[in-house]
Amino acid sequence: MFIMKLNDQFQMVKKNMKKNKLRVFMTVLATTMGCAFLIVLASIGFGLQGSIMEQMTEYQSITEIRVHGKDIDGEFHPLTKEDVESINTIEDVTGVVTQDYVPGVVVTNLNEFEGYSQMLLRNLDSAETTNFSLSEGRYPEKTNEIIVGYDFKETLYEPIGDNELEEGETGNNFSGDLLNETILVQIKDYESESILYEKEFVIVGIGKESARDWLNDGSIYANIDLKEEIFTVMDEPKERLEIYDNVSVHVMDIQQNERVTKELKEMNFAVYSITEEIDRLNIFFAAFKAGLIFVGAVAVIIASIGIFNTMTMAVTERTHEIGVMKALGANPLNIRQMFLMESAFIGVIGSFFGVLISYIVSFAANIIIPLILESVTESTEIDIVFSAIPIELVLIAVAISVGVAMLSGFRPAAKATSINVLTALRREA
Amino acid sequence: MIKVKQLDYSYHIGKKGNQTSIPVIKKVSFEVKKGEIVAIVGRSGSGKSTLLNLLSGYISPDSGTIEIFEQNTDGYTEKEWAKFRLDHFGFIFQSYELIPSLTAFENIELPLILKGMKRGERQQSVEAMLKRIGLDQHGFHYPNELSGGQQQRVSIGRALITNPTIILADEPTGSLDSETEQGILDLLQELNEKEGITFLMITHDMEVAKVADRTLALHDGEMEERGVYYETK
Repeated sequence: MFIMKLNDQFQMVKKNMKKNKLRVFMTVLATTMGCAFLIVLASIGFGLQGSIMEQMTEYQSITEIRVHGKDIDGEFHPLTKEDVESINTIEDVTGVVTQDYVPGVVVTNLNEFEGYSQMLLRNLDSAETTNFSLSEGRYPEKTNEIIVGYDFKETLYEPIGDNELEEGETGNNFSGDLLNETILVQIKDYESESILYEKEFVIVGIGKESARDWLNDGSIYANIDLKEEIFTVMDEPKERLEIYDNVSVHVMDIQQNERVTKELKEMNFAVYSITEEIDRLNIFFAAFKAGLIFVGAVAVIIASIGIFNTMTMAVTERTHEIGVMKALGANPLNIRQMFLMESAFIGVIGSFFGVLISYIVSFAANIIIPLILESVTESTEIDIVFSAIPIELVLIAVAISVGVAMLSGFRPAAKATSINVLTALRREA
Repeated sequence: MIKVKQLDYSYHIGKKGNQTSIPVIKKVSFEVKKGEIVAIVGRSGSGKSTLLNLLSGYISPDSGTIEIFEQNTDGYTEKEWAKFRLDHFGFIFQSYELIPSLTAFENIELPLILKGMKRGERQQSVEAMLKRIGLDQHGFHYPNELSGGQQQRVSIGRALITNPTIILADEPTGSLDSETEQGILDLLQELNEKEGITFLMITHDMEVAKVADRTLALHDGEMEERGVYYETK
């Protein structure tokens, strides 16, 4: 045995640190401030990135890829049935949703209630393949069955008096249960308002409530199989039966999204995927955050000068003690370890309080800054996270702080190891 | 046990390229046998401390060999010397060299900590040692709360705690009054007689040298009448 127990080294270091409480406290304080500055500064990058990402994904899901058309020899073509079939064969595609807007004014009638809505024709097989979730009911099995949006109820009003409701006019809302109710759907011509199409539908399912407060879904969703019937009555051009207004491809996660987007592009489809936006944004924010961390690290480096000073003083003060230990037969490695341990402790304690303070500052900033901005800009509500501290930022900051602290202790530790016994004990050679 | 052959050591004074060498130890040879008390005497500047520093591994000789337990220490690294000291040597210094921030108990415990011994075992050994050196009531005192004689006893306790085979003592009673000096010398003799510990001590005091089995005299770095010992008993 020639190696001091780690616990004994720890106890000795603790004792030495206690001897110079004020100096150690000031050094820890400098490290704390450096670490907190680094985290708070970088947290702005993380916070803004998160807020922007959230706003982006509010408009489009990360599991959805929108396909607008196909580029053939430099010309743009709408998507056809064949295109949809070829997209369906791509690996990882869980579903392709085609959607067509029914032209004309769509009037819905449920008993005495009446409303204006939007009618969409799409494939409605299941949640997995269409990315359309239900809050209650089931998916349509017949062409006279439909699904309505979660907020459809709000589009239905009781007419006031004997007059029919004008568009935008309101009466009493419908308050009953929509499921299994039969509604009469009338499609009128935009200009003449003559009824071009009329059919009764049974509501078999109600869409899921949107996670976003501002997004209301009062549409009615009918099966795509009705497209020919409706479009023919509406006197739409025949070519419209062969093409789709809107096609969205669904996948399981962001990785699949990236891969499928790439493949669709290779197949000359005009694609909009949020992953591309996210990629661009991620590159920008990676550079932005790296810059902030670099600036923050400067503060930690400045704090490290304090650690270097403290450790050098500690070695000088303990020269005699180190000399005695070496004279008795201390392993030089243990002496080095003890000084490195001491500087690492300063780094660890400083980082601990630094992280704690950063969370407090970050929390306060997210409350106070929006309040200030709201009062200055007279906005109603600013829903932006200015500062976010993810665990990876904490780990980066702690690694930098402890690493820099240990580096600053390295030279004093080497100095301690090389102390000459005779000089330390003031003995003549 | 210790065999020193043709040992040379010089100081180097001046800047590089213009150095002057001052020989301090000149062709010194001697032996120390197991269980002996050997005193090295000489005036100030005669080279006694340098000789002890060479034997302790604090400095390296220019030439010559030091064999301890038939091991040639030539070429030992700093780490090897440290381990050797911890395993075989006990040190008693003129100015005690206790660590002021540690209690008597902790000072005696220090070599055991350096050896990596477990806390429980250390506790027992140190308590027994405090009793043995007559300081069982002073374990929690810091060095500045002890008299010179008590501090030297702590220093002896620290030297003995690892059960060394050789104790190297540098003027062990140099800072003590005559009454305390006698107490310490009696303790060293008792340890030698009862436990067979080998002592190699340097002193300028012929009274101290009287407790030694043999005395070697150094004069200007040379061992007088090389290899011839002055029988003191």
